[in-house]
Amino acid sequence: MSRSHKIAAFVMTILSGIAFYCFFAFRYPYHLHFQEQYQLFESTWSYFAGVAAVPGGLADWAGRFITQFCYYAPLGAVLMAVLLCAVQLLTWAACKRRTLALYALSFIPAALLLVFYCDENALAGAAVALCLSLGVAALCQLVLGDRVRHILQVILVPLLYMACGGLAVVFVLISAFREAERCGFRRALPVIMGMVALAALLPAVASRIFPYPPGRLYYGVHYYRYHNILPGLLWSAALVSVAVAALSCTRQRVLPTRWGIVPGLVLFAGIAALGTLLTGKAADAGKEEWMRYDFMVRMQMWNRIMMRADAHNPDSPKTVSCLNLAMGMTGRLADSQFEYFQNGPDGLVPPFSGDYTNPVSTGEVYWHLGMVNTAQRFAFEAQEAIPDFQKSARFYKRLAETNIVNGDWDVARKYLKALHHATFYRAWADETAALLDKGTIFEKRPELARARDLRLKEHDFLFSETEMDSMLGLLKVENAANGMALDYLMAWCLLRKDLDRFVECISMMTAPVMPKAYQEALLLRWVLTHSDFQGLPAYIAPAHAQRISRFIADVKAGKSEDEMLHTYGDTYWFYYYYRSR
Amino acid sequence: MKRTLILLVAVLSLAACGPKAHDAVPAGSLPDIYPDYIGVTVPATIAPLDFMLEGAEALDVRVAAPDGTVLRSSGSCTRFSEKKWAALLRKSVGDSVRVSVCGRFDGQWKAFEPFGIFVSPDAIDYGLTYRLLEPGYEIYSHMGVYERDLSSFRQRALLENTQFDGCVNCHASRQGDPGTWTLHIRGSHGATLLRLNGEIGAYNTKTDSTLGFCVYPYWHPSGRYIAYSTNNTRQGFHVGQDKLIEVFDLDSDIQVYDVENNQLITAPQVKLPDIWETFPVFSSDGRTLYFTAAAKVEIPGELPQSRYSLMKVSFDPETGTIGKDVEMVLDAADYEGSICFPRPSYDGRYLMFTLCDYGTFPIWHHEADLWLLDLETGENRRLDEVDSDDTDSFHNWSSNSRWFVFSSRRDDGLFTRLYIAHFDENGQAGKPFMLPQRDPKHYYEDLFRSYNVPEFVTGPVPFDKIRAQKAINAPERVKFGFRWSD
Repeated sequence: MSRSHKIAAFVMTILSGIAFYCFFAFRYPYHLHFQEQYQLFESTWSYFAGVAAVPGGLADWAGRFITQFCYYAPLGAVLMAVLLCAVQLLTWAACKRRTLALYALSFIPAALLLVFYCDENALAGAAVALCLSLGVAALCQLVLGDRVRHILQVILVPLLYMACGGLAVVFVLISAFREAERCGFRRALPVIMGMVALAALLPAVASRIFPYPPGRLYYGVHYYRYHNILPGLLWSAALVSVAVAALSCTRQRVLPTRWGIVPGLVLFAGIAALGTLLTGKAADAGKEEWMRYDFMVRMQMWNRIMMRADAHNPDSPKTVSCLNLAMGMTGRLADSQFEYFQNGPDGLVPPFSGDYTNPVSTGEVYWHLGMVNTAQRFAFEAQEAIPDFQKSARFYKRLAETNIVNGDWDVARKYLKALHHATFYRAWADETAALLDKGTIFEKRPELARARDLRLKEHDFLFSETEMDSMLGLLKVENAANGMALDYLMAWCLLRKDLDRFVECISMMTAPVMPKAYQEALLLRWVLTHSDFQGLPAYIAPAHAQRISRFIADVKAGKSEDEMLHTYGDTYWFYYYYRSR
Repeated sequence: MKRTLILLVAVLSLAACGPKAHDAVPAGSLPDIYPDYIGVTVPATIAPLDFMLEGAEALDVRVAAPDGTVLRSSGSCTRFSEKKWAALLRKSVGDSVRVSVCGRFDGQWKAFEPFGIFVSPDAIDYGLTYRLLEPGYEIYSHMGVYERDLSSFRQRALLENTQFDGCVNCHASRQGDPGTWTLHIRGSHGATLLRLNGEIGAYNTKTDSTLGFCVYPYWHPSGRYIAYSTNNTRQGFHVGQDKLIEVFDLDSDIQVYDVENNQLITAPQVKLPDIWETFPVFSSDGRTLYFTAAAKVEIPGELPQSRYSLMKVSFDPETGTIGKDVEMVLDAADYEGSICFPRPSYDGRYLMFTLCDYGTFPIWHHEADLWLLDLETGENRRLDEVDSDDTDSFHNWSSNSRWFVFSSRRDDGLFTRLYIAHFDENGQAGKPFMLPQRDPKHYYEDLFRSYNVPEFVTGPVPFDKIRAQKAINAPERVKFGFRWSD
């Protein structure tokens, strides 16, 4: 390529790198946190040996190594951008003929991978595996002696298969095209046949050794979190990279070298536009929003949650439960609950479901309420449900905490020891272990002391989601200071529209001022059971009585739901009549 | 070069001037080693009992056979040569090896009181099979059934759930016969695998006349029958402090599978509507069927009142007939506890069981202990020689009934580890020893999976995991037939 073409190519790569970074750093940062929390990368030989011991294990290990840095999303975004740029550059490196148009085409695999990584179950090891395959294919072409190169290529197939799994076929196909072009098809036929035969047979042989079905050993063990799903986009990216390399071996008529800079730039712009379009379609804003809330709950950023909710009212049970937790933790649940969208009791404490995402933030609710065993169960279950059988640093941390509070310090030490080997958790784990040794853990860790104080000590029974009100009530009865349990109990009754139970529970309140939502609920019950406001308790402000009168009048006048939402959207009455019907 | 050599010599000389194990001062006590192998009885074919010394920077260990042969190991933990260890034990059969431990603490060596390890002349089986899984709640992650050669540290996966969607559940062999196996798979590919005469078959054990799938298996000594319970099992999760999980049955019955005729056999007397029957096992002569039974109670409110007694009923192996009269062997009320996992010794003399406060799943009960019933004298006692303050539970006998393996949570209160104990002809158990590992402290600390359902096997299990995987992943299941006992 001419100097101007080289400069153009350099600019393309830099621009795409910036675009990749911006996507992950600004559009998808919480997906990076999400990825990080579903693994526990340990810097030990035994961890490496365990991960690398299966086909594709080395790439998987390297992917996990990169993913651990997603603990800090900007750093994770840089690494993901570098990884995707590496895919592009290595695709280019695997090409024979060098034209700017071909350079532009080498962005397609990276663009497809970007779309692939919009899926939260796509694992970083997949891109590493593709890089390895492309890189080794490119390096092999540097060996000048045909015979040595051919021997090397055949030897490398099983090694690459072990290192990067099924994507080793990219190496095989690119090498086949390059050798056919370089030595002539007839001369290259033996090495091509050798490599293809090895690539076809290796997974079948591996299925006798490794405990995976043959299908998985062909399409990859650790490219995607769910093992029974073929990662189509990944394989499309891999095949496109092969196609680009194959194209570079074709005759000049296709993408001729005489083409100037413009066709290359146009191709690049087209690929960038298509990539942007596909990424925009694939990126799941709803999931990113939930991951944002979950991250903020994990980091206990209660005020940030409220600010976010003020800007974008959450509407899914998972996000609403995070908002309610933030309000509960800051003592604002009773007052402000109905100022935000509520979707019933499931938005307060979502019911248990046996997958790896749902129990996560629900477990946080139980932890902060003082239901330590339930928090432990949810953390454990979420971890067990991780489809690719990885462990989670976040859940190990929580399990260490719950075991400390439960007095099971030997078990807690086990989790702490594992966390000691995780870069971003080591300091916390070491400090916690030292505090356990000194016996000052509860003095130095107030959140653990809080959980210990709030938890049930006198009562024991089997957890039942249908008896949530009883459990919350007992938490309050055993510990009068557990105001959050009472707030949740009242909220539970209100969200279930169980006004009788609400009135029964209100006797547990000791606050001098009746919160707004409670006044509204009491007024509503009064209206439902009385004909006028005579004898209305003094703790209900007259303004609320006047407002409910207007509410009733407006309902009778047949005002639309939108109008009612506009005027009464912050009241319990609106929830009672228009939500969770 | 010269300077480097001088430096090297100087460093080595300095190291040589440091305190040595032979300069150790007497500690005046037994060493605090992990695992605790002090005074245990072991078979001559056990793998090296490697251990570490708590709090020591380094240790230096000498193991001496009665004939004076010495095996030495030093470092952060012992690492005895497998070959030399085996030779040493062979020379010590019927006697004790003497273990002398020196440990370095803050640069100072201490010599501890030596202790003995008795090498029993009683042979032990080839190995163990067990499940390894996280001690979890409802959802399962990576798990499998594994085989461990007891004379080495070699563990081999027989079947893992990376090979299919599902859970590897209860397994059983016929008195340790590795060729006769049953294994239950749960999940979307649920099946009961039977390995008979070298063939693996996948069965659907649920019939229209029985409660559900076959659950807890136990082979008849002839290999013709398998006693199964069928259980409608649920879990509950404690909210309070001391307990985590309860596993209980809402319903359960006993049934016997006739392997030759592919028929489940049951009888009204072991399928009573107001009684929960579970954990069936055959006596060593195959003519008695032991099981546990409890009167139904309201769940979960009356769960602490659910106490299982030990029952027995005759069984005719010629006709596959379950006897009419069910007899109570041990009344749970007498022990204020619940009897689980009855296991008769293969010599027919004893029956070992787990006793916990209530229910049918003692692994989550810290108070669970092993008990021993003498079937000849009727004497029943807690096995104080092996029991600990924490859960001691599922157990099985070796084929010669001179050893038993059991699972215990004594190590940390949650993760179940395996212990093996000798059992002499007088009915006395020796001090149990933890299943040996090469670097036991790190091995067990880093292992987040529990051992489950340990069983002795008399040889390597000839289990073809590829065929098993194919059988599990295939949709076809052989249906069990059914008949009532005469």
